[in-house]
Amino acid sequence: MQLIETGRQRQLSLAVLGLLGAAGAPVRAADDPLPTQFDSGLLYYQEGDSRVKDLEAVINVRQPLAADRAWSGRILLDSVCGGSPNGAIPSHNQQTFATPSSTSLTPTTAVVQTTTSASGGGGGGGSISLCNNPVVGGVYTVAPGQLPIDQSFHDQRIAVSGGYETALASDTKLGLGAAYSHEFDFASTSLNASIAQDFDAHNTTLSLGVNVEGDDVHAVGGTPVPWSQYNLFEKGGSQRKRVHDLLLGLTQVMNRRWLAQWNVSLERASGYLNDPYKIVTEVDAQGNDAAGAYVYENRPGTRNRTVFYWDNKVDLDYAVAQLSWRHQTDSWHIRSDTLDLHLRVPLGEAGYIEPHWRGYRQSAADFFHFFLFQGSPASGFASADPRLAAFTGRTVGLKYGLPMGKSGEFSVRVERYVQHGSSPANVPVGLQGLDLLPDLRASIVQAGLRFEF
Amino acid sequence: MTTQSSIARPIEVAPRPSGVFAARFLAMGCPCEVLVAGADEALAARHARPAAEEAWRIEAKFSRYREDSVVAAINAGAGMAVAIDGETARLIEYAAQCFDLSGGLFDITSGVLRRAWKFDGSDRVPTPAQIEPLLAHIGFPRLVRSADAIAVPEGMQVDLGGLAKEYAVDRALAILDEARPDLPVLVNFGGDLRANRPPAHAPWQVGVEDARSLPEPWMVVELTKGALATSGDAHRFLLKDGVRYGHVLDPRTGWPVAGAPRSVTVAASTCIEAGTLSTIALLRGAGAEEFLAGFSARSWCLR
Repeated sequence: MQLIETGRQRQLSLAVLGLLGAAGAPVRAADDPLPTQFDSGLLYYQEGDSRVKDLEAVINVRQPLAADRAWSGRILLDSVCGGSPNGAIPSHNQQTFATPSSTSLTPTTAVVQTTTSASGGGGGGGSISLCNNPVVGGVYTVAPGQLPIDQSFHDQRIAVSGGYETALASDTKLGLGAAYSHEFDFASTSLNASIAQDFDAHNTTLSLGVNVEGDDVHAVGGTPVPWSQYNLFEKGGSQRKRVHDLLLGLTQVMNRRWLAQWNVSLERASGYLNDPYKIVTEVDAQGNDAAGAYVYENRPGTRNRTVFYWDNKVDLDYAVAQLSWRHQTDSWHIRSDTLDLHLRVPLGEAGYIEPHWRGYRQSAADFFHFFLFQGSPASGFASADPRLAAFTGRTVGLKYGLPMGKSGEFSVRVERYVQHGSSPANVPVGLQGLDLLPDLRASIVQAGLRFEF
Repeated sequence: MTTQSSIARPIEVAPRPSGVFAARFLAMGCPCEVLVAGADEALAARHARPAAEEAWRIEAKFSRYREDSVVAAINAGAGMAVAIDGETARLIEYAAQCFDLSGGLFDITSGVLRRAWKFDGSDRVPTPAQIEPLLAHIGFPRLVRSADAIAVPEGMQVDLGGLAKEYAVDRALAILDEARPDLPVLVNFGGDLRANRPPAHAPWQVGVEDARSLPEPWMVVELTKGALATSGDAHRFLLKDGVRYGHVLDPRTGWPVAGAPRSVTVAASTCIEAGTLSTIALLRGAGAEEFLAGFSARSWCLR
């Protein structure tokens, strides 16, 4: 009996050998070069009421040098125009402003640079531009009731960065990187390093990262003296800013379907933290503004920020969900929360769709003022930058991804952003009926192409 | 001979415990995945792709559902000899050995019984009058074979679906292991799986599922290298007058095998061997354990 059974085993083994042994794996080069990965995207962003238009092109390249080493590079080109609010509030009267490159509110003054517009205008000759610059003579007017926006703003940014990552041991990874970004009025250089250590059979990863950044601000027309009167054009030279970041991260496999990540980052920015183009309206006790009564903003010289971030990726079989929460507090007393949800639903051969929802809210900086009263002492800090105001934002979007070739993907993303801020509850008579913080609506269209060879 | 879909098919990558990434895709009518250890997400996706392409190639070539497949061409021969390539010939020769090993229970021509048996959970059990005529179209020895051609008599059908999945697992693993022998991978096509080597810190943890008590596995097998295949009838049956008719059909009688285990899991060095043993053991019904005892492979029967 045993002999027969042994014979069966031998028969099976021979049959398997006949099937698999003869049909060995196809011949492949022993050292297939690791393919280079390209990831490119084109993004168009437009705010309602022809505020900001932004066209951005980005290319990411990642070249593995070995299984545990790779370098990566990134180039980003960005063309913005349309400008953001200059900080002044709407008025019942027409308001007149000078572009930052101007030195006077009066266009007939001899020193007006008639062909240069706002920040970055000087660099724009011959390059691609979305901008249909409506500002003539370095002066722009804003109709009664409208939020003052410097339409002349237009800038081109180029940002390049490179990184290198390598395994120090089977459980330890080191990353090093550098980045440089240049705009007409701003340049930024940064260096970063990170180390990641795996524990518990790669189920847990602890990471530590540092980033040091130095910025130069060459405001168009000079850097305004904080608190100086807008029409006096007290402007100085370039300014500097430094940013230090420390990031501590924990990534944990919770179970076979759930990956969680927690990050805490501490950031300290110091130096020139003002926006050189932002002003604050001064009104009298009744809320009436006088022509040209604006002062340049003044922000603290340091900002300490703490960010807590919790990200979850959950495999739901029919989809992969990504849910994250970001909570930020800083020494300017801005608190913000972001809830972000992505749901990637595979459509088989047709690719995938990914609905996206994001909710955001922030409180105002403690020195944020929609306006100041004339005669109040010009000391302390003040800014009317709407980005420092209290507001909420909602983003709703949909992405579609289509596989291309072996490992490529073409994707299209469409998003709609609505930002809602609230005007102060009590305003002087002269400001009543004005929407000091109009809602902002923006549309985003992005096309992406990823491939490798 | 082979056809390849011109549209790239999607592979989704999902994280799994212990730093493993699972590249998932659909092939041969079932969810498939390739687990890669010791690699980042991008490398895992790239490394797994040739396995998916091999699965899709085998699906396109041997699926009886596709009009342009080799199997469809063989079945359309209507008694005439159809030329076959070496790979197809080897699979059919392997099927011949299975027929022999199983005493006629493992028969790639038994698919015609599906015309009478529709395992949809209903009580539509066929009558002997429906089954009897089909038996005339079953019988592996009736195929006329040579080294490079096969003739399938009119009314008969060949179905390599019972072998193609396990074969695809072995092929895919061989391709990945040859490309990067240092990277631990586990190829799992619809529950039939094989690993080349264990991840750095611990063996592969494979849950063997009892389909009647999803989702918790009834057993976890630690696999360092080698294959696991499971055969069972948990999902497909007919129920009439309190009698359960499992989907494991004896091709000699046309009726379900009596006393078949709910599932049989076999560990062997190759997936095709594990799959062959688990399938034949199931067909042996009450004699499953006795049959398996005659082989060196480790096995588990769930009754």
